Amino acid sequence: MDAGVKIIDSRGAACPGPITDLARAYRNSKVGDIFEMWATDKGVKADTQAWATKTGNEILESREDPDKIVIRIKINKR
Amino acid sequence: MKKVLIIGGGGGGLILANHLDTNEFDVTIVDKSDLHFYQPWFLYIAFKGSQRKISRPIGELVRPGVNFVKDEITEINLDERKAYGSRKVVYNYDYIAIATGTSPDPDSIPGLRQIYDEYGDYHSSVYNSQKLWSHVKNFKGGTIAIGQSSPTCKCPPSLLEGAFLLEERLRGMGMSVGTSDPVSPSNVNDPAKTGTKGKSRIVFFTPFPRAYSAEPMNRVVEPMVKERGIEVMPFFDVDTIDGQNKTINSLEGESLKYDLPIIVPPCKGPKIKFIPETVQDEDRFIKADKNHMKIPGYDDAFAIGDCNTLPTSKTGVTAHLEAMTVSELIQGKYSEFNGRINCPFDTAYGKATFVIADYNNPVVPYPPTATKHFMKMSMARIYWMTLMGTADPIFEQFFKFTTPEKLNKKYASVE
Repeated sequence: MDAGVKIIDSRGAACPGPITDLARAYRNSKVGDIFEMWATDKGVKADTQAWATKTGNEILESREDPDKIVIRIKINKR
Repeated sequence: MKKVLIIGGGGGGLILANHLDTNEFDVTIVDKSDLHFYQPWFLYIAFKGSQRKISRPIGELVRPGVNFVKDEITEINLDERKAYGSRKVVYNYDYIAIATGTSPDPDSIPGLRQIYDEYGDYHSSVYNSQKLWSHVKNFKGGTIAIGQSSPTCKCPPSLLEGAFLLEERLRGMGMSVGTSDPVSPSNVNDPAKTGTKGKSRIVFFTPFPRAYSAEPMNRVVEPMVKERGIEVMPFFDVDTIDGQNKTINSLEGESLKYDLPIIVPPCKGPKIKFIPETVQDEDRFIKADKNHMKIPGYDDAFAIGDCNTLPTSKTGVTAHLEAMTVSELIQGKYSEFNGRINCPFDTAYGKATFVIADYNNPVVPYPPTATKHFMKMSMARIYWMTLMGTADPIFEQFFKFTTPEKLNKKYASVE
C-alpha cells in the first residue's frame, strides 16, 4: 500500500452509508490526497462516481475484491 | 464486587445499567445532567409546537441498586482505569462504558453559531426546538433552507422528517409550497390549503447524493418529496454561512439563499480528554469494534451509542441494542451486535415507515403506512419502559419478525 493514501473503511455501512465517510474525509483533505475507500454497500460505485463528478475529483480505480468494493479517489479540487 | 462505571444517562447508558445484575456488579451512572430527554420528540416541538413533557429525572429511571451521580467527567485514563469528575473526584472502575451521545458543534462552520443561536434547530434541545417553532409558526413566506450541515448527524431520517413536517405545517397555515400542485391527502379539495396565505419554498439540502441517503429508502420517499413540492439540493455539504446576505455556501461550490434557515449543526463526540488520546477520531468519536463495542486495546472499556465510530446510524435503537450486547459481555456471556437499525421515519400526514437494515443486509424499501405511524407515536409512551427493560419481550418479538433479510424478500423483490 502506498504511503499517503488515506483508507476510508466503510464496510458494513448501509445507512446513512459510505458517502458519510467520504464527505467527512473530503472536508479535511487537500489537493493531491488519495483516498482508498472500502465498502460493501452495492450502491457505492454509482454514488462515488456522482460525488466525484459533482466535486471535480477523480476516480482512479474501482474494483470488486472478493470481500469488498475498493475505490481509489484522487482529490483534484478542494 | 466489580465496579461498572457508565458515563452518560441517555438511552444506551440506562439500558446497560438496568440490564446488569446489581447483586454481582456495583453499577454507577455519571451524567452532567440529572434529566433524560426523549429526543425523537424534538421534531414535534419544532414543527407542531408540542408541549408534551419529554424529560424525566435519570435517578427515577434506574432500577434499585444502580447508583446515579450528577457530575461532569472531564478525563478518562483507560490505562489506569480512572475517570475524573469535577472538583477532582476520581471514579475507579473494573469496566467502563462511554455512552455520552454526541455534542452539537455550531462553531466548526463559519457563520453557523449566529444562525443556531437565533433560530435553534430540531435536534439538540427542547429550548432550541421551541425557538425554531416560534420562527416556523410566524413564517410569512419565502424560502426555507433546511438540512444537516455535515454528513455526521444523529438519526438520519430526522432530517427529511423535518422537511416533511414543515411542508405539512406550511400548507396547514394556508401557504403554497414550491411550484407543484398540492396533491397531499389533506390538501385535496381543501381551498384553505391552496396557498392563499403566501408562497413558500422548502429547499432540502443534503451532503448525500439524494433526498434520503440510503438508496432503497430513497426510492420510497423521493416521489413524496416531489409530490409535496420540496426541492432537493444533493451533494451540498455546508462550508460557510453568510448571515448578512442570507446565503449558505457548500464545499462543493454551490450557494443557497434563504429567508428562514433551519440548519442542524455538525455532531461531534464528547468533550472528554482520553488517555490514550488515540481512542478518539478527529471529530472526538470513540473508536470501538463494530460487533462488541470494545475500545481497541481494552477488554474492560466500551463505547456505546452515538458517541462511537460504528459504521451504523447514530440512533436510539442502535444504542439500545449495543447496550444489550455490552451487558451480556460484561456478565461473561457471548453476544454480538449485528448493526441492526430500526429508525422510525415520519413522512407526515399521519404516515410513517421504518429504516431497517443491518451490517449484512441493505436498507429495506419499506412503504409508509398509518400503522407504522401509530407505532412511532406509541414508542413515545413505551419508551420509558424500554429504558427499564420491562418492554424487552415486545422488542424481541418485533426484531424477530422484522429482520431486514425477511423484509427485503418481500419488499425489495417486488420492485
